[in-house]
Amino acid sequence: MRQTVEKALTTVSGWFAIAGGAVLVAITAMTVVSITGRELNWLGLAPVPGDYELVEAGTAFAIFAFLPWCQMKRGHVTVDLFLARFGPRVNAAVDVVSNILMTAVAALIAWRLWLGMLDKKAYHETTFILQFPLWWAYAAAMTGAVLFAVVCLYTIWRSLAEAMQPTRQSPQHQES
Amino acid sequence: MTSLEYGLWSIPVLLLLIFLRMPIGLAMFVIGVAGTSLVTGSTVPALAQLKSLVYSTFSNYSLSIVPLFLLMGQFATRGGMSRALFRAAETFVGHRRGGVAMAAVAACGGFGAICGSSLATAATMGQVALPEMRRAGYSGALSTACLAAGGTLGILIPPSVVLVIYAILTEQNIAKLFMAAFVPGILAAAGYMLTVSLYVRFRPDSAGHRERAPWSERIAALVGVWPVLLIFIAVIGGIYSGVFTPTEGAAVGAAGTGLVALWKGGLDRKGLVDSFLSTAASTGMIFFIVLGATVYNGFLAFSQLPQQSAAYVAGLGLSPWLVLILILVCYLIFGCIMDSLSMILLTIPIFFPIVSALDFGLPPEEFALWFGIIVLIVVEVGLITPPVGMNLFVINSMAPDIPLSQTFRGVMPFIASDILRVAILVLFPSLTLFLVRWLY
Repeated sequence: MRQTVEKALTTVSGWFAIAGGAVLVAITAMTVVSITGRELNWLGLAPVPGDYELVEAGTAFAIFAFLPWCQMKRGHVTVDLFLARFGPRVNAAVDVVSNILMTAVAALIAWRLWLGMLDKKAYHETTFILQFPLWWAYAAAMTGAVLFAVVCLYTIWRSLAEAMQPTRQSPQHQES
Repeated sequence: MTSLEYGLWSIPVLLLLIFLRMPIGLAMFVIGVAGTSLVTGSTVPALAQLKSLVYSTFSNYSLSIVPLFLLMGQFATRGGMSRALFRAAETFVGHRRGGVAMAAVAACGGFGAICGSSLATAATMGQVALPEMRRAGYSGALSTACLAAGGTLGILIPPSVVLVIYAILTEQNIAKLFMAAFVPGILAAAGYMLTVSLYVRFRPDSAGHRERAPWSERIAALVGVWPVLLIFIAVIGGIYSGVFTPTEGAAVGAAGTGLVALWKGGLDRKGLVDSFLSTAASTGMIFFIVLGATVYNGFLAFSQLPQQSAAYVAGLGLSPWLVLILILVCYLIFGCIMDSLSMILLTIPIFFPIVSALDFGLPPEEFALWFGIIVLIVVEVGLITPPVGMNLFVINSMAPDIPLSQTFRGVMPFIASDILRVAILVLFPSLTLFLVRWLY
């Protein structure tokens, strides 16, 4: 049962990470086109209008889309020095507490982002040059924030299972 | 309790949570929200700011340079550039005593010029240079140690992710900081090579021997490095000359390394997916810490702690140099247990106002550049100090036959070279600043 959920969430988080990466590549290409246009102004070319706004909206989406993968792969930085000697069970128990807090924070972030989005929509806030509604960018970010909260919730379960299973080796923390 | 007391108490509580192995970003976020609520007497302000704070942190134009640099580094590792750099350096110095290790350091420096992360530099160069050094008969301790130390050049030589964060925290110009990092970065590479040469003089058995490469081979190997050179000149030249912003420079670099990787066949479907996933993991990690630090620093600002402590230290009338040295020693100690980015994000908001209020005989902007470079170096020393220097583990995991204790011992001379370099840069600020003065 847990393995199925683990697999499904890894796949979905992976797809989000790839989507975020694709957006970064799109930002890269757009920026290069924009610089070329700006520098070759004398040839009648022009920069991409609103290029800064596109970079900002795109990066925000990418980073929200990256968070679930990072959580799934235990990518967050911790200081392992002092608890290393206490063995896998104590460490897994600490993970349970950390993951509960992480879930609370992820849920808080998603909740506030949702309200922020409603604000932007209510006040019809748009970006400066392209004039696209800012709540669109919030909505795109929202997808990653929700998945992040779901993945955090699952990691509580995962660390609970690891804390209950004394025989299993404590998982190595992935460093990237 | 007064606001200031909340601010003061938050520090030991934060450290306790971090030492209990809570993710650093999470600990800062939780304490930041709780502290802001306590200081303002209600949860309303903290919750209200979160409505836009998270999105605005993640969409910050200056910060968007970070994922782009990380993507650039990923593409660079898949474009075979690490191998080309090592080949070129090795044909020139490989026949000297300790030459293959020197070549590894030089190649790390070259790779650092297109990669903004130390771990990525150490990992990439390790894959290429470690087997070569072992094959040439170099001892395990020297091989792993020189690569772990060489890896720190990834961040010392611009572009550099940590410098970007420092620039944003202290509101400095990223292009000028990159320029200020240039000479200290070269000094670092030269210092490591000198260390290698002294190392093999005292331990002649730790180095093997290589035949001198003919000039035809040298030229051929040098030609193989042109993509690295071209990308570096385009990115750094463009940023320095103001043709584009640092973020745009990062995009140009990512496009350049991406095209090279595509051309060399390193970006097939799997290569592309892998580089996205690695970028996702490290970007997620970095931005979660940045988010936590933003929330925590917001609370610290509420509590007045940074201003008050700056006024307090200035009022003590201590010698500015003593304060600076104490801060640097603090970084060296904390560097043994904490990663560089978290340290910068945690400490700069408190330390920077303190040292800015002291007089080192430099204009404020020059002081900020100089202090940034020195802090960058001391936090990078943390990457190679036992017991938790990340670079040591990255490299050691690639050579299962070399005990970690040997790597720990081997890296000591390189740490000494780092500390010596910090002393020189502290004593002679103009080494860091002359390029900036000359070009602006």
